Amino acid sequence: MLAGTADLAALARRAPRLAGFDGEPLVIPGAELLQATWELGGLAPEAAFPPALFPTLPVLAVLSVRRADAGPLGPFRMAELRLSCRSGVRPRQLLVASFAEGEAARAALNERFAFGALPARVRLERFYDRVEASVERDGARVLELGGAGPLPLAAGDLQFFSSVHAADTPNGLRLVQIDGELAVARAERAEPRLARFDAAAFGLPGARLAHPVAAFVAVGDWTLPRIRFVSRADLPAFAGTERVS
Amino acid sequence: MKFGIFYELSVPRPFAPGVERAVYENALEQVRLADELGFDFVWAVEHHFLEEYSHCSAPELFLTACAMQTTRIRVGHGAVVCVPAMNHPIRIAERAAVLDILSGGRLELGTARSSTWTELAGFQIDPDTTKQTWDETIRALPRMWTEERFSWQGTSFSVPERAILPKPVQQPHPPLWVTVTSPGTELDAAERGIGCLGVAAASFKEQERRTREYHRRIQSCAPIGAVNERVATLNFLYCHEDQAEAARTGLGMLGAFGQANAHLLFTREAYPTRAYGSLANLAPAPARREGSPGDPSGIPEGMAVGDPDRIVRAIKEWESIGVDGVNFLLNAMESIPQEKVLASLRLFAREVMPAFRGRAA
Repeated sequence: MLAGTADLAALARRAPRLAGFDGEPLVIPGAELLQATWELGGLAPEAAFPPALFPTLPVLAVLSVRRADAGPLGPFRMAELRLSCRSGVRPRQLLVASFAEGEAARAALNERFAFGALPARVRLERFYDRVEASVERDGARVLELGGAGPLPLAAGDLQFFSSVHAADTPNGLRLVQIDGELAVARAERAEPRLARFDAAAFGLPGARLAHPVAAFVAVGDWTLPRIRFVSRADLPAFAGTERVS
Repeated sequence: MKFGIFYELSVPRPFAPGVERAVYENALEQVRLADELGFDFVWAVEHHFLEEYSHCSAPELFLTACAMQTTRIRVGHGAVVCVPAMNHPIRIAERAAVLDILSGGRLELGTARSSTWTELAGFQIDPDTTKQTWDETIRALPRMWTEERFSWQGTSFSVPERAILPKPVQQPHPPLWVTVTSPGTELDAAERGIGCLGVAAASFKEQERRTREYHRRIQSCAPIGAVNERVATLNFLYCHEDQAEAARTGLGMLGAFGQANAHLLFTREAYPTRAYGSLANLAPAPARREGSPGDPSGIPEGMAVGDPDRIVRAIKEWESIGVDGVNFLLNAMESIPQEKVLASLRLFAREVMPAFRGRAA
């Protein structure tokens, strides 16, 4: 079985600080999401994961761009890159990088849920026949993607998976399970489009978005509940999982 | 009650030279023994690209070898993926007919549409179309086998009038099955009058519901060929006189299967569609541990892992809910040494089979 081989010391150096596990849940009403997925190329499947996680074969690179115009954190936009994997036998997505525009929201998401989001200009724009998104960091475009020809889907046709965020926690370096939920009010499937992806800016130098899979657009209330589980990055989930609430 | 053995042909890493060959040779030795012992079926799946989990990409070749090395056991080509980009319907009919001839009329043909993104995307197949192509293919197969000349104008394939050759030995044609992974496929089987080949672990309660619905619905089916009203489930077999040893080794096999299964990327996980249901790990869920009402050994409900008495009780329960056959995985990732697998088969045939057939193998 292929287990992750990423260097834990390097992971620890990049891991954002999470001061505690008692952050209040968040509900962001009416959040809009463009999620586009590619098969990841250019790296060995196991290379990006800590030993606690197992890659799916192939690994999916899941790019999510969100826009919230209202809510407890005020208006903000954010972009994330996650990779499909397994914790034990459970499906998970490892957060590799994130960016946010909207300082109050960025700070809250980092402090309470260990997103480690870097400041950036993030755009998500809806047109009649497509959705476009981009991320600009330090004046450079690091991501331009879109979803073309959106067609309606039932909310139940979408599947969401818990994320794991590497973080420097009171328990040490841990993979924090974030059980985000989107109560989908509207969903559409689209053709994924990619104009630019700076792999190094997303923390995966050498990686390629090799084969397009799918994209969808969804609108709904985005909930980030209280953190329940964390797990060690060096042990399989059955041995390294800790309940924290 | 019929008993079969079922092969995914999983291969553990590292993929050193000779490892795949050893897996195939072990499997063939098991098949020869199963034939001698009175097992009814040997099934082999079709999977592509599923590292470790299944290196069984050309099951018709493996099954031809099985047929050539046995005299009695029926060979289950199950399941062939009925999507033209992977297997053109004419090629399915031709290969199946040849296998039926070479085996002396011992072929059972399982059909499927593949459930992983890994496989579908590998052949550039649109997940939204596979149910339709499966349906079209299985409706064409009996006609290709029974009509002197065949023509078809369809959505996923068309063919001008041609003689599809050779014809199978069995009359009117080999029995047809469909693999059942997601709930609801048993109804697809019933409506078309074909057998229900379970390939994912299901609880007694869930299987009873599916079996009842299947038998009810098939009474009013519109058969696509000769009706094959049978329900088979998938199970794991490790039989040993000592229950503790059986549990230890058998649970190791289940764990190995579950781990290999964990790498699979099911279609719905990658691609938003209503054409595929959400699938979890295909391994059976562990039983509850000590202090709970479940089996303290940790052996999942209904699994044929244990001493002969325990396995007889488990299979009696499957029988009581209307299951006609049980197909066993004998090993996973070669976690059980070959000699122990063979001993398990022998003990099963000696101590368990007679409880269902009244004869020693």
